[in-house]
Amino acid sequence: MRLELVGVTKRFGALVANDSVDLAVEPGEIHCLLGENGAGKSTLMNVLFGLLHADEGEIRIDGDAVTFADPGEAVRRGIGMVHQHFMLVPVFTVAENVVLGFEPTRRFGFLDHRKARADIRRLSAEFGLEVDPDATVEDLPVGVQQRVEILKALQRDARVLILDEPTAVLTPQEISALFEIMRSLGASGRSILFITHKLKEVLAVADRITVMRLGRVVGTTTPQESDESALAAMMVGRSVELVVQKGPANPGREVLRVRDLTVVDERGVVVVDHVDLEVRAGEIVALAGVQGNGQTEIVEALTGLRPLRGGSIELDGSEVAGSSPHEMIRAGVAHVPEDRQRDGLVLPMSVADNLVLDIQDSEPFARFGSRDLAAVRANAEQKLGDFDIRASSVDVAVATLSGGNQQKVVVARELSRPIKLLVASQPTRGLDVGSIEYVHRQIVAQRDRGVAVLIVSSELDEVLALGDRVVVMFRGRIMGVVDSSVDRDTIGLMMAGVVESRAATR
Amino acid sequence: MAINDQAHDGARVRRPRSARRSALVAVLSASALGATAVSAGVASASSRTTRAARVAHASPFLACEVTDTGGIDDRSFNASAYQGLQLAKAADPAISFKYLGSTSTSNYTPNINTFIAKKCGIIITVGFDMASATQAAAKAHPSQKFAIVDFTYTPAIKNVLALHYDTNQDGFLGGYLAAAESKTGKVGTFGGQDIPTVTVYMDGWVAGVRYYDKVNHAHVVALGWTPKKVRTAGSFAGNGLFTNDFVNQTLGKTEASTLMAQGADVIFPVAGSVGLGAAAAVKQAGAAHYMEWVDTDGCISAPQYCSLFLTSVTKGIAPSVKAATLSAAKGTFAGGNYNGTLTNGGVSLSPFHDFNATIPAKVKAALVSLKAGIISGKISTDPDSYPAG
Amino acid sequence: MPDQPGARNPAAPAPASSDATSDATSDAAPPRPRRPWPAPLRRLVEANVAVVTFLSVFSALLLGGVLIIVTTPAVLHALANIVSSPGRALGVAGSTVGDAYSAMFTGAIFSPSSLGHAISTGHGWTATLTPISESLVSATPLILAGIGVAIGFSTGVFNIGAQGQLIAGALAALYAGFAVRLPIGIHLPIVVLAGAAGGAIAGWIPGYLKARTGAHEVITTIMLNYVMLNLLNYFLTTRPFQQPGQSNAISKTMPSTARLPHLFGSGLRVNAGLVIALVLVAAAWWFTRRSTLGFSFRVIGLNPRAGKTAGIDARRVTVLVLTISGALAGLAGMASLAGTDYFLSSGYGGNIGFNAITVALLGRNRPVGVLLAALLFGALEVGGRNMQAVTNIPIDLTSVIQALIVLFVATPVLVREIYRLRGTGDGSIQLSTSGWGG
Repeated sequence: MRLELVGVTKRFGALVANDSVDLAVEPGEIHCLLGENGAGKSTLMNVLFGLLHADEGEIRIDGDAVTFADPGEAVRRGIGMVHQHFMLVPVFTVAENVVLGFEPTRRFGFLDHRKARADIRRLSAEFGLEVDPDATVEDLPVGVQQRVEILKALQRDARVLILDEPTAVLTPQEISALFEIMRSLGASGRSILFITHKLKEVLAVADRITVMRLGRVVGTTTPQESDESALAAMMVGRSVELVVQKGPANPGREVLRVRDLTVVDERGVVVVDHVDLEVRAGEIVALAGVQGNGQTEIVEALTGLRPLRGGSIELDGSEVAGSSPHEMIRAGVAHVPEDRQRDGLVLPMSVADNLVLDIQDSEPFARFGSRDLAAVRANAEQKLGDFDIRASSVDVAVATLSGGNQQKVVVARELSRPIKLLVASQPTRGLDVGSIEYVHRQIVAQRDRGVAVLIVSSELDEVLALGDRVVVMFRGRIMGVVDSSVDRDTIGLMMAGVVESRAATR
Repeated sequence: MAINDQAHDGARVRRPRSARRSALVAVLSASALGATAVSAGVASASSRTTRAARVAHASPFLACEVTDTGGIDDRSFNASAYQGLQLAKAADPAISFKYLGSTSTSNYTPNINTFIAKKCGIIITVGFDMASATQAAAKAHPSQKFAIVDFTYTPAIKNVLALHYDTNQDGFLGGYLAAAESKTGKVGTFGGQDIPTVTVYMDGWVAGVRYYDKVNHAHVVALGWTPKKVRTAGSFAGNGLFTNDFVNQTLGKTEASTLMAQGADVIFPVAGSVGLGAAAAVKQAGAAHYMEWVDTDGCISAPQYCSLFLTSVTKGIAPSVKAATLSAAKGTFAGGNYNGTLTNGGVSLSPFHDFNATIPAKVKAALVSLKAGIISGKISTDPDSYPAG
Repeated sequence: MPDQPGARNPAAPAPASSDATSDATSDAAPPRPRRPWPAPLRRLVEANVAVVTFLSVFSALLLGGVLIIVTTPAVLHALANIVSSPGRALGVAGSTVGDAYSAMFTGAIFSPSSLGHAISTGHGWTATLTPISESLVSATPLILAGIGVAIGFSTGVFNIGAQGQLIAGALAALYAGFAVRLPIGIHLPIVVLAGAAGGAIAGWIPGYLKARTGAHEVITTIMLNYVMLNLLNYFLTTRPFQQPGQSNAISKTMPSTARLPHLFGSGLRVNAGLVIALVLVAAAWWFTRRSTLGFSFRVIGLNPRAGKTAGIDARRVTVLVLTISGALAGLAGMASLAGTDYFLSSGYGGNIGFNAITVALLGRNRPVGVLLAALLFGALEVGGRNMQAVTNIPIDLTSVIQALIVLFVATPVLVREIYRLRGTGDGSIQLSTSGWGG
């Protein structure tokens, strides 16, 4: 099946999300759609899947113009979609999830479980999608859940499969496995539209690459004709540095010393299991691991947001375990939270107010409980310049800023007071290449100023680029501490919990 | 100006209007048309030649009611007072009437003031809640006539007629009838609030049940109200079931169901329109469950449930309000305190309606002699006079 | 270098490059007006939330008029003959509605003829000013309780307990009123503070429960309303609260030293309670806009997680908000007691605590908005009384109008659709009610 988008334009009021986009996916092709967040990829895919309707242009299947009133129609015409957030029922089995909505039935409307299982086994064998049809989805690792999503699409006989940022939640090993599956799907004549902003993956798996920027297609290329920096330049519109420029670390005194830290989640399950960790002044420690292995909870414990079950946290030699977030802030801990919109910013409030969120009640921003709005504005004006925050005014709501500029607001706020320890979670998630570059430079600058830095990232590239030491976590435990020069596969295996701290260099 | 025009227009045309509260609006038409001629000689006897009196003399007599928070269609004292105004109009077409509802106790004073400004010939206020607002207004406007339902002033006020009713007298008769008609040997009552105007009914009713047991050697038990053993004179203290609400019918349903679940087959709610909820519950309970209505004749004020009502324990608010209004219109109004009893017909048991045939002649005869006994003072309506069942 | 980070221009008003906003816009259907207004006028109209509110009030009055027409037999009768005499039918309908609303106006603001009389003769000023005075009296407790509720709402705390807190404040103020004998200069401030303290305690309880146990304040405050209501009924029949010589549920009266003085002589009931209310409107404005505590309240209201991360103690804020909110409701209870009623009985407070919620929503939780909304509601209530007294149209109509106003304000989409305005997404009261699940 040949899928074509011709001159597709989609407007939201004054905003043109897709500007006469042309895109052709040949049968059996793995076609990558590359672009930064906000480039219009998701809008385009929603148009293609019948969730949105194009204002202009058309979709063609094998040369015939088609319109999809809703996703159901798109599915019937052979288009399948695997969303970034899975649409699975956690308590159902794999088989039940796969047939959900298209259940094969026997007489009297009984579900034909046998047929469902057989279908899954057949498809699994054909494409190397190893899944137990009778497993309950909630018990499966994320990578396997994704296979269930793919199976769902295949069971509905998808000829074109759209994968929206499929690697965000996977370990390196799971990513390789996914690529294998994609290749075998391509070999069977099915086409794949692979949406991502990660350059390495594109080069590894794509047959052809279409790059989008600001709602337009800026070019189509192949991995053979291109490389990372060329793709990055197309995405951003200028040449960018892909490597973090940093000199060797000069570790000084031990700023953070964590011993035997144990944290439980809301259900009482141990999520951080007797962790020891230290960060010295002037070094960057990167906490690596697949999402959901306890990194978030460690950060919350360190910043006073989550109570400890046990253990100690020493900051510059004094015990701070059990302190409130306010006390942690006063003690010199800066925190860039992993979800800036949920935890870092008050979106409807102004840029100026967000820049003093944690220090608004102290001098010079307030006196005797009364805020000095002039001081707040002056501070904001200065930070806008210092941190290159692009906003039309300090009074606009921070919600109107782009993701990169929002993150700069958080970083600017956290770095604008004297700090000893910087804890940054997923500091560049969802940012464009330009902003990533900027945030990385700020973090390195803090290290060089003698701040102890702990970053948490699920992006292996970032971990290796930023970290002076890398601590790998799996299921709440430290699997090992390695030097950042260690090879990716070793870290990948540790992230998957395969290798115990054999590679440890400490 | 537009407003002036309309005001003018209103004065010229005097279109008939009627209150939207359909349940109670009987006749309320052509309020002012042609009524002027009739009232010519009515107010002349008035001793005071104040401005208000002159207005009443020249134009039709306006009677006004301020309801308490129960509202005009509470099927209880607010409604009865309103009915009194309707009766007054039926007797003297020169009388027109209005009312103002109160949603909060804070409305009483402004509502009364609004009517004073509207030159009402008499203002009827309802309930002890309004006693101090009425008293203050009466003091500030000595020529304005008032009547207040369910209250007694000590000392009496010259321009306020305070209407009070000894409802324990007919309550006693109601209790006797309930006990006589009970098959289960249990009867039940509940009140809207633990206040004397309510508990005086319940006291008399329980006394009637006890009296029935005593003279007939029966063991009918009254549920829902236990009069206190030792009481100061004139108080009606005790423990009982109260909804603390005179409006919410769901509460009435709950209380009645509770009483019936404990075996009561005659229910006597003393809670205004909350009693309608009780009626719904009694109807649901099916055959052999009865009620007695309170304040007004239930077969008139809530006819949909007439088939449930053995009788109604009424208090003559409507007739006394009517009398007060007519006297004010005629200029014979005198303030002070009025006490309604079985003797003067201020309180009474209503006709048996649907149960006229089923209530035994013996019981009817007993009720007649009981009434005579209470009037003569031979029979006490105090529950403490009889052993508790 | 950082001075040229990319070709994108996030400073542009269209959030083309924001991942968050582009997500949001991709879900929303593009608004498409059928007959848009001329562009300059449209911008003027859409820029102002007040326009939507004004149109809501207008629409509610219009619908109220329809309601008057369809419930007045005389009008219906005339309308039945609309074919034979259309002029008369429309005339009757028009003048009935006109009479009703002009009675409402003269009852709530002033009567032009009375004003003319007062100006020409110099007499009758009290009668002329009585309507506006009554409207202000009626608005006073609504302003106070409304601000209290609004401070809660804008902090994401849903205080539905203003009614109970109002009663608590009134009880405390009453006690302070009759329990001591002092000169007015000392006694009155004590009464005022007692009212605030009573409400504050009643507000603190659900705040403490929420902070300590997570019990949702909507539930606890509603339940406390019942507790306070029954507590009032209990106290009213108990010494020392009950009026001596009374077996009815009625309280002692406030001595003259515990009464809020009238502002313009004894003929007009408007009293110092209004001054307290206005001062607190100004204080609330300062508090929400200028104080550090008010700022942290707003942060917690808009994004509690971000507030926590920034070191704001959300529990402490919850307790404080409910305490302050309760104190304001308590002052409302005190204001009616010490300003106009001078005694308590079982129906005390009426619907003020619940109307305060409506007023807060209508005023969009802003102090000045609440002030205006409370004045409107006060005027509607007083005007409705006159309307019933003059035209026999029940005062209940004003409740319907009040409800309709809020209904329209709560559905700005509807208002925009009716008046062909383009949507800007703001001006609704959604924000103030987000977070019910919290």
